Amino acid sequence: MGTPGTEPLPTDAAAGLIRAVESADSAVALLGASAALARHLSSGAAPSPEAVLALVQVLGFNNPGAAVAAVDGLIACGEAAVEPLLANLDAHNYGARAWAVRALAGIGDVRGLELLEQALSADIGPSVRRAAARGLGQLRCPALSAEERRPIRQRALTALEAAGEDGEWVVRYAVVVGLESLGLALAGEAGEDGPLPDGRALLDRARRALLLRSTAAELTPVVQLRAVRALALLPDPAEP
Amino acid sequence: MAFDDSGPSPSGAGEPISEAEALARLRQTDDQSLQYYAAWWLGRMRSRHPEAVPLLCAALRQRQPRDPAAGVEHNAVARNAARALGKLGDAGVVTDLLAALDDDDDGLREAAARALGELGAEQAVPALTARLRSGLAGAGAPQADSPRLQEPCEALIEALGDIGIASPDVLEVIQPFTGHDRLLIRSAAARALLQLTAERCWGETLLGLLEHPQLQVRRAALMDLGAVGWRPALEPIRATLAENSLKLIALRGLVEDGEGEPGVDALLAAMDDLL
Repeated sequence: MGTPGTEPLPTDAAAGLIRAVESADSAVALLGASAALARHLSSGAAPSPEAVLALVQVLGFNNPGAAVAAVDGLIACGEAAVEPLLANLDAHNYGARAWAVRALAGIGDVRGLELLEQALSADIGPSVRRAAARGLGQLRCPALSAEERRPIRQRALTALEAAGEDGEWVVRYAVVVGLESLGLALAGEAGEDGPLPDGRALLDRARRALLLRSTAAELTPVVQLRAVRALALLPDPAEP
Repeated sequence: MAFDDSGPSPSGAGEPISEAEALARLRQTDDQSLQYYAAWWLGRMRSRHPEAVPLLCAALRQRQPRDPAAGVEHNAVARNAARALGKLGDAGVVTDLLAALDDDDDGLREAAARALGELGAEQAVPALTARLRSGLAGAGAPQADSPRLQEPCEALIEALGDIGIASPDVLEVIQPFTGHDRLLIRSAAARALLQLTAERCWGETLLGLLEHPQLQVRRAALMDLGAVGWRPALEPIRATLAENSLKLIALRGLVEDGEGEPGVDALLAAMDDLL
């Protein structure tokens, strides 16, 4: 997938679906066409660059229903969607950026790490920061060894720690969910690779960041509640 | 359909200022745009400073007729002061807000009604119901020269629901608005009646609006279901076509203000999926 010269061409079926997205002249038509193309790609069809681009463009049309379908389709495309998403970020449309960050978060490709860090620390749109926080918790790096993953996990953790006092409750909620996923990944990796002191130190940091959100100092009850649930799921490295 | 904290963030919002700076800006009266921002800031930051409430009350009393030529309308400061007072939770300001509820400016009446609702001001119930008593042909009729209604019906109705006194008189005054031409008013009335009576039929009314073809109507129903915290709405909220941000606000309401089934675990899992 994605190697120059070997990109899959759109099949006849896909080409028709792409045309339907591009020529949709109403919100309902766009929703139907986007959902049909997304379903086609989710069913295992090889994603062509044209199909990916058509879905990326749907993210900018201020049509939440169509955007939800497009994000699902892009996540199904996996790594083939990463470069087109990164290359087509719209600096002036935070709705579109939120959907793109959400798609990248769902794909979990490490090429999105830098974008997710920037989005969480500096984006003005709470929906963008929220999607980024969730995504930082679920970066997948199956091809890397535990040692190679460590710096990636560490960067994600540092970004999440720094966002724990975000002014928007929904971002803090997403930070808690991100810390939970990251903590579970760290706990799993510690198990598979034997004792890794650095990994335990990172897990301990994730737990401490969650503790801060689990007390009355966190003024939004739903965030506090979510942090308590997250802590209950994570193993405590202090215990044998 | 009050969007919590979404209330008018003036240009320059997010500009970091200190509490002392906000109080100083509100205290001066030469530059109203500075007062406008300061009033918003004190509410947004839930200021606990002892001078915040007295200064906001002074700003609320500082009213004059609309003069669009003057840039920031004078009443804009009073409106933001009313909104901020609603967030600061000081019951001593109810008398000032009740006075604002009699103002000629319907925008200020709207802000005052919302603030009284947020404060749960039981002594405001007679004044709020009085404003609505003329019903669809009076309070609910459109103004001649604007898309607004004679009274800020949505805010008045929602305030009565938030305050929570389910007297026969209150129910009787709200009921006709469930048949208002404007669906946002119907949504507000169903929300208030669901809060006041806990009768399932009003929840079903909101679920019907959640399937409406217009996004604006679905958004209103979402916010209203969240404000009540009506948990049977979980699946319809997930399924409706609207922004995840609004669904998350609504689901937060179901977690924090609701009870019964579906339980908190299912609600939190649904929220996680929407991030």
